[in-house]
Parts: sequence; structure tokens; C-alpha cells
Amino acid sequence: MTPSRRDMLAGTASLGLTAGLPAVLTTILPGALRAAPFDAAAWQRYAERFLQPEGRIVDSGNKGVSHSEGQGYGMLLAVAGGDRPAFDRLWGWTQRTLMVRGDGLAAWRWKPEEGVTDRNNAADGDMLIAWALMRAAEQWQAESYRASALSIVNALAAGLLVEQAGLTVLLPGREGFRKGDTLVLNPSYWIFPAIRAFAALPGGERWGRLADAGLVLLSKARFGSYQLPPDWMALDAGGAVTPAEGFKKQYGYDAVRVPLYLAWDGYRDPYYFRPYAALATKFGGTAIPATVSLPQGTTTQVAASVGMLAVYRLACRIAGTGNEVTVPAPAADEDYYSTTLLHLSALAAQSLGIDP
Amino acid sequence: MTRPVLSALLLIGTAVLGSPSAVLAQAGGAQAGGAQAGAPQPGGGRALAPGVKVEVAPAPGSGSAPAAGKVDETALRYYARIGDVERMEAEIARLRALEPGWEPPKDLFAPQPATAGVDESPIWALLSAGKVAEARAAVAEQRRKSPSWQPSEKLLQELDLAEGAGRIRQASDTKRWQDVIDAAAAQPEAVACGRLDNAWRLAEAYGELKQLDRAYDTYRTIVTTCPKAKERRDTLFKASRYLGPDRLRELAALGATSNPAPGEDYSTVRAAEAELETGRLLERLGNAKPGGLSAADLSRVEGIVRDKQDADGAVALGWYFQKQKNYAEAQSWFSQANQWEPSDKAAEGLVLAYNGLGEKAQARAAAAPWKGRSSRIDQALKAVDPPRGAGGGRAVPQGPSELDRALARRDFAGCLGIISTTIARGGPTAALLQQRGWCLMELKRPSEAEAAFAEAQALAAREPAKAAAAGSRLPAGALPANGAADKPTSAQENAYGQALARLATGDMAGLTRDLPRANMTTAQKAEIRAALLATEANRALEDKRYHDVLRLLDARKELTPESRNLGILRGWALYNLMRYDDAYRQFKAIDDRLSTEESREGVSTAWKTIYHEW
Repeated sequence: MTPSRRDMLAGTASLGLTAGLPAVLTTILPGALRAAPFDAAAWQRYAERFLQPEGRIVDSGNKGVSHSEGQGYGMLLAVAGGDRPAFDRLWGWTQRTLMVRGDGLAAWRWKPEEGVTDRNNAADGDMLIAWALMRAAEQWQAESYRASALSIVNALAAGLLVEQAGLTVLLPGREGFRKGDTLVLNPSYWIFPAIRAFAALPGGERWGRLADAGLVLLSKARFGSYQLPPDWMALDAGGAVTPAEGFKKQYGYDAVRVPLYLAWDGYRDPYYFRPYAALATKFGGTAIPATVSLPQGTTTQVAASVGMLAVYRLACRIAGTGNEVTVPAPAADEDYYSTTLLHLSALAAQSLGIDP
Repeated sequence: MTRPVLSALLLIGTAVLGSPSAVLAQAGGAQAGGAQAGAPQPGGGRALAPGVKVEVAPAPGSGSAPAAGKVDETALRYYARIGDVERMEAEIARLRALEPGWEPPKDLFAPQPATAGVDESPIWALLSAGKVAEARAAVAEQRRKSPSWQPSEKLLQELDLAEGAGRIRQASDTKRWQDVIDAAAAQPEAVACGRLDNAWRLAEAYGELKQLDRAYDTYRTIVTTCPKAKERRDTLFKASRYLGPDRLRELAALGATSNPAPGEDYSTVRAAEAELETGRLLERLGNAKPGGLSAADLSRVEGIVRDKQDADGAVALGWYFQKQKNYAEAQSWFSQANQWEPSDKAAEGLVLAYNGLGEKAQARAAAAPWKGRSSRIDQALKAVDPPRGAGGGRAVPQGPSELDRALARRDFAGCLGIISTTIARGGPTAALLQQRGWCLMELKRPSEAEAAFAEAQALAAREPAKAAAAGSRLPAGALPANGAADKPTSAQENAYGQALARLATGDMAGLTRDLPRANMTTAQKAEIRAALLATEANRALEDKRYHDVLRLLDARKELTPESRNLGILRGWALYNLMRYDDAYRQFKAIDDRLSTEESREGVSTAWKTIYHEW
């Protein structure tokens, strides 16, 4: 990318600062460090970097693969950026390439040379796609998007929502997440604002219970001295939660989205944001480690990306711990995941009224 | 002023509590008429056991944040509503400390008008049911829906505390000792006297990490600050796992003298130290090779056993000498044991000791009272008169396993020793831990017993399902009179053991709260419930709440026939309510079945009162 793009991004950020803000907002946000708002221009820059002409989002940090999660995020951002042609390209590629399972859900991953190599689905990708379709239907008054969304939501409810220990939970995929009478779950697949949207659909009560269960599980899934949730957790038949066997027992790239989704859905109970704020505080809000082993608390040398820092900034504000996280401008080659988290954090903050 | 009022709410049996104000009036010494069993009041009834209900006032309306400077009575009202006396009094004390001029509201038991705002009581209900995560979720959901609402400070404190305690338990159960220590540091209240089990877990964590000075400090804090003698005593037993005799002696001395609370008898703390000493010696005695005990230790054991006329100890000494083929000394100890407390196990030793001395006639005479009635004796007799054609009966019968034999001779200290050794060798099993619980109960160490049953429960949950075959062996006399049709599972036995332990530690409020959800057979629940009611009836009599005595006893009678001593209790309650004719009939009926000093005193007192014969 050209240096001018970086300058431009930084310029947007400082512009936000000087623009006359209501007094209330400036007291909420003392001093500097506004997030760059997500708008049409921001979407265009994102699309230039990650959206291929055929309609797939490239995961630049993972050998250029595409996946249902990226499609879902891309579709959400396209709606927020008001770009219907791009949205249609994204949705078209998703339907043609990933929705080949025959059950209304998407195969989770596509590789440039090989195509779809693993037909299993990823519940979060399916949810993001369905939620983006619902938002698109609303924004552009297009019933066909809504119908598509409904069919995905119904397929998810039929295949992925299960009852365990009195809780309604979401299997991460159709295959491979039942180990005896224990389920392996992913806390970051509780995309609360999407779940809330599904719950509002006719017959959506089970989604409402899924949201309730998510809060219960996040209260149980607190490990180590920071009380962080694991990327993957096991829920046994008695309702006990532990970091899942067979996965890295850590908090990291997946679970960092937990506070993002909670905030986006309007949750403001500091209790649910304090673990992330505690981690950020411990590392001075600068080089926050990207992963923390659980429950031991061993941290990696790899620092949290810009996008992850944006999530921490949001979490710290809601936790009310009084510390600020500095989010630097993204690098010219900032990868797909970091850039996406950065934009999603901005969207969440905007929806909360924290940011414009 | 509050105690009798509050106690009145606790554990009212099938007889339904009258209107709350009537109870208040009664406790305040005014007319008591309205408080007697009457028609059920409107309002929620909380099922405590099948067919037994406690009336509670309708939900108080609001849990909204208190006005500045005003005392937050949310928690207090909640405890009042559910009848959790202990927490309620703690809360009253806390609020008084905060606001010296504050008095508990007069309408504590009156239904609260529903006011606008957020009702915190469903969240309190979750918390009190142990559903901490669910309570957290409810708070977050409520805050999402009403962003201006703040949960009460007290609720947040209780949530933090419950979570802190949960973290300590979780870390301790999974042997993450450093995490136990960290969690306790983050939430010191979670290891206060009120949560003694957690304090023990903290000390255990230090012990396991070989930080013995800190373990000692933790135990010392407990025995010097927690007021109950029994808890101090149990703490000594806990500490014995990590600390040597010298430090235990220091702890015992501190526990027996520091910060005494009125009404507590701390001599039991010192006695515990002696018991530990004896236990150590007896354990060594049991394992000792011939001559393995020093003369000094041996004479100490002998002295203790004689002082306490401890038949079990005497039998242990008998076997010690028998193993050394010192039959004369063995015979004398077995005789002594048999004299203090005749038993087939003492007779068994005696038979074999006489046999060792070659006094077969004496051996047969010692066996005579038990012959044909005790397999133990019949086996021992084979050593005296070897059966023909059985290879000369060389093998002196060893009987069942070591643990079985310890249980059979009611050697519960021995039971603990054997179980420790077995666990050290082959790891713990749920059955072993459960047996440990029963032996601790027999040794009157209920707090530890409760912990053992809980451990057994946790372990059983992790063990591969072995069906319900693994029923444990209860010591004779501890077996509840369950019908065969209602045979408890191992899990139910654990729960039942825990409940008995809590009864023994006096945790009535907690037990009452948890009983409805406890996994026990109907018969077990009824038994625990009946015991709770009996305890409460006794307490009511001490507090001169005679109507309550009758209500509690009536409720108990629905579950199980009234025992003689409770019948006497009922008589005195009637007498004090000036129902002299009823009291007389009650005492007379008991006296007619079996006349004792107690029943005669009742009959004569009631009679003299009726006929003014004083």
C-alpha cells in the first residue's frame, strides 16, 4: 500500500478529534484517541485491500484463503459502507462457492488452488452471513435477502442449537464437537447482536435462550488470574466449563471477540469486560500479548494487533477501569483479521453511542 | 431482640405460619393468639420437603438503589423473606456497624408494596440457590435493558464473594494450589471464618506447596479468630496432615485460649491434641513390628487407654502384644477391653491369647458367650480346636480386610489410618472417601466428614460409572432405617452423609435451604428433615416460644413417630402454654409406657398445678 493511505487514515483519526463533539461525549472520552469511524470511505479502502473482484474476502494472514467468517464480515461491512454492488458480489460468491453442503449452511473454508477442502461448516460464519443478509434486507428493503437469511437461521437452529446442562448452546460446526457427553464450544461464536436479531424472528425463542446461556457460560468460563475465557471450552453434562482438551488451552485470537460482541449488543455490565481490561492494564495498554495460556497465564511474545487493541480500548471503557488503550493507526499491510476487528470495534462503538 | 423473632420464621412445619405481624407480636410478648396454626395465608409457599411448606411473604417489590445516606435493606428483606436467619442476623449486624443509629425495620416480614424500578429479588434467589453464573447473567441482562439501573452494592459484594469462593474450590479440586492462594488473596472474605472450608483449602494449598510456615499461619489464624470450639478442634485435625506434633501443640494451646467467645468450651481443642497424639500412637501400634514402639510411647498409650477406659485402644494394645507372642500381656489387655465393653472382637483376642498361653479351657470359656453368634469367634475357635481333616487348621483366620476389621471393632481412628494408607498406595476412590466420611462422623468430626462426603461426591462424578454397586459399609448403628425398596445410591449416601454432618455442625439454616434440592431418597430426606425439626423444637423451647415448639413437633410427627424425649418436650411446651390438662395427659401417656424420672416429674408437676397441691 502507498504511504498516502496511511497518512489518510491517520488524518481521519485526528479529524475526529478536532471535529466539535458534544460536551457529553468529550467527557466520556477524555483527551485523544478516537476510533476512526467506519463509513463509506473506510469500506472502500477495506474492499480495495481484501475484496477480490469475484466476491471473496482474502484472509491475508492465512495464505490468502477465504472462509465463511470472512464472507460474513465482508458482507456486514459492505452494508455498513452502503455498497450494494459489493454486497451482491460477496453474497453471490458465497452462495456459488461455499453453500455446497445441501443443508443451507456454508462450507467453512476455500483455498486458492484447491477450492473447498473441508465441507464442515463454521457456525459463526453462517451466523455472520445470515445477520448481514438481515441488515441488508432492512437497509435496501430487499425481501430476497431476508428470505435467504431465514433459511440460514433455520438451518442453524436445526443443526447447531443443542441443549446441554439446561442451557441452549451453539455447536461450532455440525461435525466433530461432541466428545462423549461433553460438548466443545467456542465462546466467540456467541455473536450476541446477531443472536438478538435471530431471536426477534418469528419462532426465535431458542435464540433468546442461546443469548441467556452465553452470559451464563461467560460467567463460568473465567480462568487464571485475569479470569479470561478460553478460545475453546468444554461444557460437560453437569454444566461445568473447562478449557477444551485437544485445543490450545488459551485465551487468544478467537476469544478476543467476546467483549466486542457483548459491547455491540449493548451489554454494559463491567463484570463482563473487566477480564480484558485487567489484561490491558497489566501490560500498560501497549504491548498486550496476543494469547494467554489458561489457567497458568503464560503469555506469548506476539503482541496484540491493532484490531485487537481496538477491542481492548472498547472493553476498558465499558469496564470503567480508568485506563486507556492506545490504538495506533493500522500499518499499510495490516492483515485481514486485524483490520476487520478494527472496523468492527468502530461499528460497535458507534452503535453504543460511544463513537460517532 | 431480633433473634426470637427471626427464629420463629425458620422451619415452621406443616402448620402454617400465621401472619407475619402476629409472629412479631408474639415474640414481642404481646397476645399470641393469631400466631397459632391457622388457614394458609396468601403468598408463596416454599416447599421444603414433600408435604411441608413454609409460608413466605410475597416478594418485596424493589431492589432499586437506595437513596444516598440511607441503609440498603435489600439483602436484609430478602433474607427475611426466605427465612435465612443466620445471614439475616449477620446482615443486621453489618448494617448496624455501618449506621449506628439504624434499627431493623418493624415491617421486615410484611409484604412490601411493589414499587417501580428493577426487582432484584429474582437475582437474589438465583444467588441463594447457588446459581452464581445465572445471577451474573441476570444482572448483565438487566443492565442492558435498563442502563440507568445499578445493582445494589450488597448484591455485587455477595456475587464477588460467591465467585471468589467458587474459584478457590475449583482450583483446590483440580489441585492448582497456587491458584487457590491467588484466589484467596483476591477475595480475602472468601476465606473468613464463615467459609471455613475455604480457609482449610487455603491452608492445604500452602501445605501441598510445602510452604509450611504459611500453612501454619493460616491454621493459626483460624484457631485464634474463629469463635467455635468445634471448628478450632476440626482445624487441628486438618492441620495434622501437614504439621508436626510440636506445631500442633502450639496450635492447640492457642486455640484453647485465644479470643474466647462466651458459651464455647475450648477444652475440646486441647483434647483434640491429645486425641491426635493417641491416634498417632495407636496407628503406630497397629503398624508396629514387634518391639517397634519405645517403652515411653508404649507406657503413654497404656496410660491414655486406661484413663479413658478405651476398649478399642485396649484391643489394639492386645493385638500389639499378641503379635509379639507376649500372650500374657495380650490376654490382660483383651480381658480389660472385654470388661470395659464386652464385644466379640475383644473376646476373639482373648480366645487367641489364651490359646497362645496353652489355656484351651479358658479360651473356650471366653468364646462361650459368642459361640454360634459371631463368625469372628467361630473362626477363632478353629485355632483352639482345629477341625479334623482340615490340614490341622494351621491358618489362624485372618478374617475380612483390615478396613472391615477396623470397622467391625469400631476403631474409627484406625479406619482413618487404614484409608490414608490405602489412598497413599492406590489413590483415592469415591467409596474410600465416603467411608472416611462415616468414620469421621463416628469420631465426631463433622466438618471434616462433610468435606469427605463432598470429595467423594466429586470423585464419584469423575469415576467411570460402576453402577450403584459400590455401596459403602456403614458402621453398625449408623445405618438409617431405610426400607430395602428405597436403597440409596452411592451419590445419595454421600448427600445424606453431608446432611448428617451439617446437622452435627449446627448448620441448620444452610441445610434447610439445600435440603429440597439434595439428592437423597425420600426416607433420607424425611430423616434429615425430622432431625432439623427436632433441633428447632429444642431451640424454640429454650427461647420460650412454646407455640413454635408445638408446630415444629406436629410437622415432625407427619414424617416420623414422635420419640420419647420429644414427647416430653411437647409436654413441657403444653405446660408452659398453661394447657395443663393436655400436658398432664401427654406426660401420663409417656409414663404409662415406661415410667422414668423425667416422665414422673412431668406427671407430678402437671398434676400439682392442676389441683393446686403446691
